[in-house]
Amino acid sequence: MTGTARAIGSRLLELAIVFVGVTFIIYAMVFSLPGDPIAALGGDRPLPDNVVAQIRAQYHLDDPLWLQYLRYLGNLFTGDLGTTFQGASVAARMEARWPVTITLALTAWAIEVVVGVLLGLVAGLRKGSMLDRTVLVGTILATSIPVFVVGSAAQLIFGLRLGWFPIAGTGDGWPTSYILPAIVIALFGLAATARLTRGSVIDTMQSDFVRTLVAKGLRQRDIVGVHVLRNSVAPVLTFLAIDLGFLLGGTVVIEAIFNLPGIGQMLFEGIRTHEGPTVVGVSTALILIFLVTSVVVDLINSALDPRIRA
Amino acid sequence: MQRSRLALVGAIAASALAITACSGGGGDTDAAASENAISYGTTDPQLLIPGRQSVAFDFNMAVWSPLTFLNNDGSLDYVAAESVETDDATTYTITLRDGWTFHDGTPVTAQSYVDSWNAVAYGPNAMENSGQLANIVGYADLNPAEGEPTTTEMSGLTVVDDTTFTVELSGPDGQFPLQVSQAMTAFYPMPETAMDDLDAYNVHPIGNGPFEIVDDYVENETIVVTAYEDFAGDEPTIDQISFVPYTDEATAYTDVLAGNLDVNGVPANRLTQAEGDFGDRLYSFEAPGISFLGLPLWDERYQDVRVRQAISMAIDRETIIDVVYGGTYEPATAWTPTIEPGTPEGICGEYCEYDPEAAAALLEEAGGFEGTMEIYFPGGGGLDPLYEAIANQLRQNLGIEATIDPSADWAEFLATRTAGDIDSPYFSRWGALYPSQQATLRVFFIQGGGCDNCIPFYSDEVAAAMATADADPSGDGTAYADVQELIQAEFPAVPLFNETYSYVTSERIAELVTSPVGNPTLREIVLAD
Repeated sequence: MTGTARAIGSRLLELAIVFVGVTFIIYAMVFSLPGDPIAALGGDRPLPDNVVAQIRAQYHLDDPLWLQYLRYLGNLFTGDLGTTFQGASVAARMEARWPVTITLALTAWAIEVVVGVLLGLVAGLRKGSMLDRTVLVGTILATSIPVFVVGSAAQLIFGLRLGWFPIAGTGDGWPTSYILPAIVIALFGLAATARLTRGSVIDTMQSDFVRTLVAKGLRQRDIVGVHVLRNSVAPVLTFLAIDLGFLLGGTVVIEAIFNLPGIGQMLFEGIRTHEGPTVVGVSTALILIFLVTSVVVDLINSALDPRIRA
Repeated sequence: MQRSRLALVGAIAASALAITACSGGGGDTDAAASENAISYGTTDPQLLIPGRQSVAFDFNMAVWSPLTFLNNDGSLDYVAAESVETDDATTYTITLRDGWTFHDGTPVTAQSYVDSWNAVAYGPNAMENSGQLANIVGYADLNPAEGEPTTTEMSGLTVVDDTTFTVELSGPDGQFPLQVSQAMTAFYPMPETAMDDLDAYNVHPIGNGPFEIVDDYVENETIVVTAYEDFAGDEPTIDQISFVPYTDEATAYTDVLAGNLDVNGVPANRLTQAEGDFGDRLYSFEAPGISFLGLPLWDERYQDVRVRQAISMAIDRETIIDVVYGGTYEPATAWTPTIEPGTPEGICGEYCEYDPEAAAALLEEAGGFEGTMEIYFPGGGGLDPLYEAIANQLRQNLGIEATIDPSADWAEFLATRTAGDIDSPYFSRWGALYPSQQATLRVFFIQGGGCDNCIPFYSDEVAAAMATADADPSGDGTAYADVQELIQAEFPAVPLFNETYSYVTSERIAELVTSPVGNPTLREIVLAD
């Protein structure tokens, strides 16, 4: 148990170092974007010079990078994530938007897990069959079409023509508002999950212990349900966990197409308007999610597979 | 035990779903339940109040009433004002209508206007739209170049009685009555309570208009406004508007197609298909917007006026309008959009007409063009097809090696253009807030007028002619013809298009009504039976 504690401790230290490094890099990147974000705030209609000067002063934009960053970090430790150039609190905005993104990501992830693993399992067990080939071709197809094409097409077909799902917004709540966009994003991870599971299942089915189990006369259902699935799932689980991180951060396009006010949108707008606090706040949160999921994956993997345990 | 671990993973995922399932976001259109209610697609505004908003014009025009309202035929209606009068075009007396109240029940008085304008103009408040008030005497005192202002009031504003106040301008300006019209939101009045806490006022704005906001504004959620019972002006045709925020205009467009949303603007990438999708439910409103191809006049290759004219004649505006704008724009034939009263249509003459042979001959006569052109414009805004088409035509008709060079984003473009750090033609457009030639000519041709380097041609002669035209008390705009002649002689940029603002509606809308500012007048919308 002390080994585990030490492992977690060192991961946490890594986490802290990555956190400071990454926030600084992102802050510096936003800082170095060309153009004056405040002058551009008014779009076509330039703001009066004194208004620009005042807002710049208010957000300390004329200070050197290191001072701005230190101030940001200092505020961060007091729980203040800063404000947008319109004066809205970044923390409050994130709080309002996380539920949308998390709901979307988890819905997509659940579809990915259930359908992906199931397809992979069936394809793996019936290697070479018609079904296996269909899954193979289907997954290649799914991963080769850009997400915005699938998204817009799904919107036009299932939203507009058939009217099964709302076209935009979260007004109908979960699940109605989320299913269509979730399926669209799930398609990509689903393809990978299915193929990973398939390969893993085939490997496991060919291993000695399965042969032994068959020889011992265990029922096929128990062999697959308990032994094969558990042994095949480790690599898939690693992928799924990392993919959950991607889903939480990488849904910008889908959020835009389906008008879901989530975290991806906020990040995109932040970059477009050069808003340091927004970009750093959101991306830091995303990085933390990645780091935490990777720690969790390690722990789950070691729980599932005694051989990994130290 | 072994099974239960797997089950645990599943359980965590499932419970997380259940926890988040109850959260809702924006974009719901349920509010449009009433018979006489409409929904309208917008960008999430964040800033709602008149002195600060930049993308909440439609909301502002619903919640406030302007002093004057410009009609499509160029006539001026008096709305909150009974009259706006002057003897010398410098001091105006504004008389308000009796009996108007804010949505909180307090009366709208001359003092309300004066206090509001002072608050908007007051430098430390850093209101984005304060520039609209810059011509009032005393504006400079509230916005000193250095330090804090020593006063909070503009000396040019004087309250005479409850319904009368006077405005002294820094110079004679016959267009002032137009400057207080519907889209000049900085001139809208705010109630006394607003001035105590402008941030709170932004969350729950209170106006003097036909509609009042129902709930506090929450980012990315639908804003519902309902008809204000004690409204003293003309009763609106509808009793509720829901402003539904969309992050992607194309999605809002599709939602109108599906009948989930009643009115939305047409995004650039849907203009060519809008007529096919919507037929007569597509409305293209003539707007006070004009696009130019800006030219880098500091580059010696663009010094000869014939080079500039040749570029203009080599551009086939009609074809570009058909291909890029689905036929909704009009070719520009003057230096201001046609909708601005008194615009000398056709002053550009042959130089705004497509004639590739004459263009090539003119360029030849001017000594040709050395080097390449990389047309510079803000990237990511759907402008690529326009500038690609222009580059192609310049390449074909003038043999100039022309390509496009989009910027990373608007901020980069703006900084580069303001610094004059471009050696190729570039994006240059302006949508005026009040349809007067003054509004367009001032931003383009007066230094510091608003569109820095959009057309980098600033001459004392033009400035003097502008001042003379501004002082014309008739205010009908004919006086600006002299200014346009001076500009035409120099031909400092390429006039491209008179812009239109296009909207599509659901089948619930029988007619979308507009005014010369180009936006729909939502309070006059006609519903289908």
